[in-house]
Amino acid sequence: MSALWKKTVPVVIVFVTALLVMMDYFVVMPPVNLDGVSWTSNTVRDLQNWGIILTAFTLGFGAVNLFYLHGRHISRRVPNQWMYSLWLLIVIVIFTTVGLSTGPSSDQYSFLYNSSYFALSATVYSSLGFYMTSGLYRALRVRNTESFIFFIIGIVILARNAPALAVYYPSLDALGAWIQNVLTTAPQRGIMIGAALGALSLGIRTMTGRETGFLGRLTEEERAGGRGGE
Amino acid sequence: MTDQQKGFWNLLANIPREVLYGILLIVFIVPLVYPLGLPVPISSEVRRWYQTIQDLPPGSTIMIDFGYSGGGEPELGPMAVAVYHEIFKRGDLKAVAMSTSIEGPLLWEKAMAEVRPEQYGAEYGVDYIHIGYIAGTETAMAAVGKDLRATTSTDYKGTSLDQYPIMDGLVGATSFDLLICYTTGGDQSEGWVRQWFTPYGVHYLCSVLAMMVPTMLPYQNAGQIVALTSGAQAGQMESLVRVPARGIKSADVITLTHILCIIYVIIANIGYLGARFSGGK
Repeated sequence: MSALWKKTVPVVIVFVTALLVMMDYFVVMPPVNLDGVSWTSNTVRDLQNWGIILTAFTLGFGAVNLFYLHGRHISRRVPNQWMYSLWLLIVIVIFTTVGLSTGPSSDQYSFLYNSSYFALSATVYSSLGFYMTSGLYRALRVRNTESFIFFIIGIVILARNAPALAVYYPSLDALGAWIQNVLTTAPQRGIMIGAALGALSLGIRTMTGRETGFLGRLTEEERAGGRGGE
Repeated sequence: MTDQQKGFWNLLANIPREVLYGILLIVFIVPLVYPLGLPVPISSEVRRWYQTIQDLPPGSTIMIDFGYSGGGEPELGPMAVAVYHEIFKRGDLKAVAMSTSIEGPLLWEKAMAEVRPEQYGAEYGVDYIHIGYIAGTETAMAAVGKDLRATTSTDYKGTSLDQYPIMDGLVGATSFDLLICYTTGGDQSEGWVRQWFTPYGVHYLCSVLAMMVPTMLPYQNAGQIVALTSGAQAGQMESLVRVPARGIKSADVITLTHILCIIYVIIANIGYLGARFSGGK
């Protein structure tokens, strides 16, 4: 009974849902109405809207989980952690209170966002530039043939991406474009096709109940569909 | 070779990071305070992007995804602002924005404050609108493409979409002539290809962070994206639309910091090879 509800039923739901969505994406399933819309179309539209609602719900659920997790840090006074947890919860409360009372498009909420989160977020992201420069200085050294090729390509791309240099040396643009369109795109396509095949295989395994990660923790018996761990 | 010479090579090969950061900071700040006005070339991608908007027939409707986060705003914001200037300048296009990033509506407001649509006579709800953040990323794209009004019934302020003339007749992806996406996430930039270009054939312009460009290039080369630009090319777009702003200013910074990086790499290699040939590590 446990395996039926914990594995079989969820897998059947996933199978039917995924099949419907795929059918709607790839083929127009008859019967079709006067507007040329297939019977799967409205069903899939509703499924997608459920998905959106569920995602929005998980955002709220995530906030609840943050309170639970960081509340525990605070109550246990976890060293080097609890004060940050407290600060996080204070910020969540402030943003939530202002957002709910004045609306997320209000001047007050925009001010709060622009003067705190936005500024900090942009600063943290911008600081990557310093780390990258230091990394470039240390990593791009000609130690062997491979690193020499890496060095040359790195210099050409750096020079090409400097707007003014590309004006004075137009050939940089053609060389950089060739590196990007040929040397970069070819392996990138390979990676993407490989990842797509992996996703396809994962999808089929999930639909057929061979991949059970999305079901949470299962016992051996439940994983085997109630067949005693066969 | 003397120890003094070896020490010199090692010094070049191991410049303390504080020095590297300090020089970088100076090179970063000086052109911001005293703009140098270095030339900005217009790349073929930016030209193609601009031309795609120019070629839209009058009355066309554009879907714009503000899918970037606050961290990416300094790079992608100027591009979004420059493109909005061009859309409003034309005066016969309609722009519907949505966000697949939770910060999108706030960043859209920020962009609008810079563009000031009223200077072009554009009116909210008539010429442009923001239908808000829609959770679910790729699911949201698919749902909006299939049936926009079933997915969301209000704009980002919570006002019913029925009250806005711009929404009349907009059903889903087939109602749009062009899709534009500014994003800091691969899910968004690739998701639009899968959910709007492939099933509906909507022309797609994409602007991403510079480091994401190699990942997205195969889509452009396969014709799924009409033009792919990085936010760092915002100065080029500003030159084309003739509204110089943050992008042009940052072009000077980008040129100088890139040249500095090249100098750093060359110095590091001179030091490394000098130390190696003089018997050091």
